[in-house]
Amino acid sequence: MEAIIILFSTGIVSLFIAMTRKPILVLLTALIGVTVTAIVMSINWYTPMQWVKYDGIETDYFTIIYGATATLFSFLFILIGYSKFSKEVYHTGDYIAILIFSLCGALCLFSFTDLFMFFIGLEILSIPMYVMAGSNKKNLLSSEAAMKYFFTGSFATGVLLFGIACVYGALGTFQLKEMSEAIAAMKNSSALLQVGMILILAGFLFKVGAVPFHFWGPDVYSGSPNVVTGFMATVVKLAAFCGFLRLFQLGFNGLDGFFVEILIAVSVLTMFVGNLSALRQTKLKRLIAYSSITHVGYALICLLVKNEHTPAYLWTYFFAYGFSIVALITVSMIVNDENDDIDRYKAFARTNPFAGFVMILALLSLAGVPPLVGFFGKYLVFSSAIEQYPVLIIIALINSGIAIYYYLKVILTAISKDDNAEKSTVSPLHAIVLSISMFGLILGGFVTFWVN
Amino acid sequence: MELLVIPLVLAIISGFATKQLLKYLALFGTLLTFLLIAYRSWEYFGSSELVTLYSLNASSAFKCSFHLAYDGITLLMLLLNGIIFPLLVLAYYHTKWINNNRFVSMMFLMQFALIGVFLSMDVLLFYVFWEITLIPIFLIAYWFGSGERKKALIKFFIFTFVGSLAMLFSIIYLGSFTNSFNYSDVVSLGLTKEVAVWVMFGFLIAFAVKAPIFPLHSWQPDTYVSSPSPGTILLSALMLKMALYGMVRWMIPLAPEAIEVFRYPVIILSIIGIIYAAIIAIRLDDIKRVFAYASISHVGLIAGGIMIFTKDSLYASFLQMLNHGLIALALFMSAGILEERLQTRSLAQMGGVAKLAPRFAMFFAIIAFASVSVPFSMGFVGEFLLLKEIYSFSWISGLLAGTTLILGAIYTLRAYQLSMFSAPKISEFKDLHFNEWLVYIKISILLVVLGLFPHFIFDLVGPSIDKLLDSVFTINLLK
Repeated sequence: MEAIIILFSTGIVSLFIAMTRKPILVLLTALIGVTVTAIVMSINWYTPMQWVKYDGIETDYFTIIYGATATLFSFLFILIGYSKFSKEVYHTGDYIAILIFSLCGALCLFSFTDLFMFFIGLEILSIPMYVMAGSNKKNLLSSEAAMKYFFTGSFATGVLLFGIACVYGALGTFQLKEMSEAIAAMKNSSALLQVGMILILAGFLFKVGAVPFHFWGPDVYSGSPNVVTGFMATVVKLAAFCGFLRLFQLGFNGLDGFFVEILIAVSVLTMFVGNLSALRQTKLKRLIAYSSITHVGYALICLLVKNEHTPAYLWTYFFAYGFSIVALITVSMIVNDENDDIDRYKAFARTNPFAGFVMILALLSLAGVPPLVGFFGKYLVFSSAIEQYPVLIIIALINSGIAIYYYLKVILTAISKDDNAEKSTVSPLHAIVLSISMFGLILGGFVTFWVN
Repeated sequence: MELLVIPLVLAIISGFATKQLLKYLALFGTLLTFLLIAYRSWEYFGSSELVTLYSLNASSAFKCSFHLAYDGITLLMLLLNGIIFPLLVLAYYHTKWINNNRFVSMMFLMQFALIGVFLSMDVLLFYVFWEITLIPIFLIAYWFGSGERKKALIKFFIFTFVGSLAMLFSIIYLGSFTNSFNYSDVVSLGLTKEVAVWVMFGFLIAFAVKAPIFPLHSWQPDTYVSSPSPGTILLSALMLKMALYGMVRWMIPLAPEAIEVFRYPVIILSIIGIIYAAIIAIRLDDIKRVFAYASISHVGLIAGGIMIFTKDSLYASFLQMLNHGLIALALFMSAGILEERLQTRSLAQMGGVAKLAPRFAMFFAIIAFASVSVPFSMGFVGEFLLLKEIYSFSWISGLLAGTTLILGAIYTLRAYQLSMFSAPKISEFKDLHFNEWLVYIKISILLVVLGLFPHFIFDLVGPSIDKLLDSVFTINLLK
């Protein structure tokens, strides 16, 4: 709770600091605030702080790990986006504050104990994203992305809310603990509960962009400003996955029977649709969007397995995935191309050796090539489900095989020769972010060893 | 441990080193690794114990540990690795490749990963190193290769990566039966036959792609041709040995219960590969492609020998691996010399080189004869033993595999005759320079000496192979 309050105050303060019209001050405030939040969270690891008490929120180890990860990625995205934000002096504060508010929502989702807090967290997470998707006001695609995301998103929210209402009708409580007790005490499964759970599941699948609720994904990803795309792919997905994992595991005692079949079907479809659509993409951000759909398919495997280690596996997966996205988004900011064509990255690794190197690492990590961190995430997720669903794992591995083709195409474009290629300038902030993500990609495997 | 650290550190340093320093780094770095390996082999000689270099329990969730150890089999592969790299650097000492930071850096990274593959005593660690080898060789082939190589290399990467995914499936599947991927733990598992079949199948796909064994070989000739000649040497002399080593070290000991199921299919496929590749090699015009198919043919024989899995066949397989590594280095180096000085790989446009470059012709002849396994060369001992084992396994397959001697002689000597002796079509050919001469001399001496005294190798790998066979068969008998 302390972390959320500090973070929220940081957002407000940076809004006021923005009145000085000095972007660097806003950046510093935001970074200090985010760092303090991270420190407060890590103190919680050793001695739980109880300054502010609220029943809707409960901090455990996974809350802290997930929270620290989301904070780290937000920190990196604020750094990446600063070069863009600072150009619009009047709005620098708005952008940074909105990202921080969204992070507040993510923190709520990592620690809620009742459906009320869950819904609030999800909305605080989403609404800033609707705004940020359209923040590139002069670009038609950006406005389109914002409209699309907002309309479909609010529809999904409605479905989710209806689901919550049904579940409340069946169980008569909002508390996760009481819900699971009520379900355990029930002799026959109630239809109202089933309907509610399906509607909640649909809302969830929409939020993470799984097939068949994925249509908003590519358009929103490619239309939004780069930083927002990255933020949506990492922090928002991490938070949504964690929130629903909490809900299903703590509230509904894990999914079984009918829901498992639904999830398996969705997972398989998501992998194939994402992969096969990505094969022929010519724009980097659309490629990232489709590949992130595929990655959602892999991560859904986590939800199928009832196991006390599942949150750790899911965390590993998104931790690994996040660094790749951070690196790729930074690279796309460096190249800074309106059209975002993959051809524009021709000879990028030759003109900018360091950035190109990190970009190649990021793509290989997404493909799951060891010893990069992406491999360890994939390995854990797959090995957790091998006993129950071996065929699903074979399908997932086949999909990893398909995916290597489009990652390889981008890599080959980046390392190819082109005498006319001009050198892009790498600002110091971007260089810092690139080196952080390089260390994350290479050494992240050891971090995941330690956490697991 | 230092065996792994030195190449890795050198890989990083040579990425930034100046041109003059770079050459010395490449030469003395590879020599240093060779000396370290040679010293360890000397110390080890005659023993059969598993010597642990480094061991660290990494994580229980991953079931993996950082366990590096070696025995005789490993040392033989390390020796091959240690011999090939300095010779490679020496042979290409004055060329643009050794003067290029990226090339030398990738070469050291390759050495690091290969040493890791041979030393790792943990399935997951083995997989990690196995995959790392792919990156440097891919980049070497892409940066320095010739011609329209993009398609060939995408094919290469996808083939090997998908093969490795099959291995990953086996590893994950194996993980659901064990709490530790350590070598000693996984070989004593005692799987049921059904499980063992699946486990072995995944490994077999990965190794069959990399070796390559007949139906999965189609990436290999294209990749060999489009790589620069040092890249081809790395691929053929070292990377392919990883697969053969993996078959002996991991595939069969992990799931010995399944060997009966796969023995016949793999031996049949190897024999098809031997004959098929040899016949194609006879018809080809591109000298590098001829040697690429020759490599498929030779490897087929070794793979068949490994699947028979008796004492003699394993002894011979390891001797053949060493032999094939050295010959691949020399053959592809010769092809590289011809290509570089004549600007063509087509046999039809060569001819009469022997008159202009007698020294080169002589050494090329020695290597060609060693490649067709004439007596007194190392190939003779290995191939003879392998054919004997295949013959006693089943006479018909022995007979068919035996054609490799005749067909091998045809395609090798045809390539030799067309390039060296036929009507002169060129007027100028620079003979070997000192470094190349030195490399040829060393390889020729090694091939002949080890052909006359193969027991040096048998003494090194023998005890370890006996121990491996013992452990595999006692597990089988216990059930």
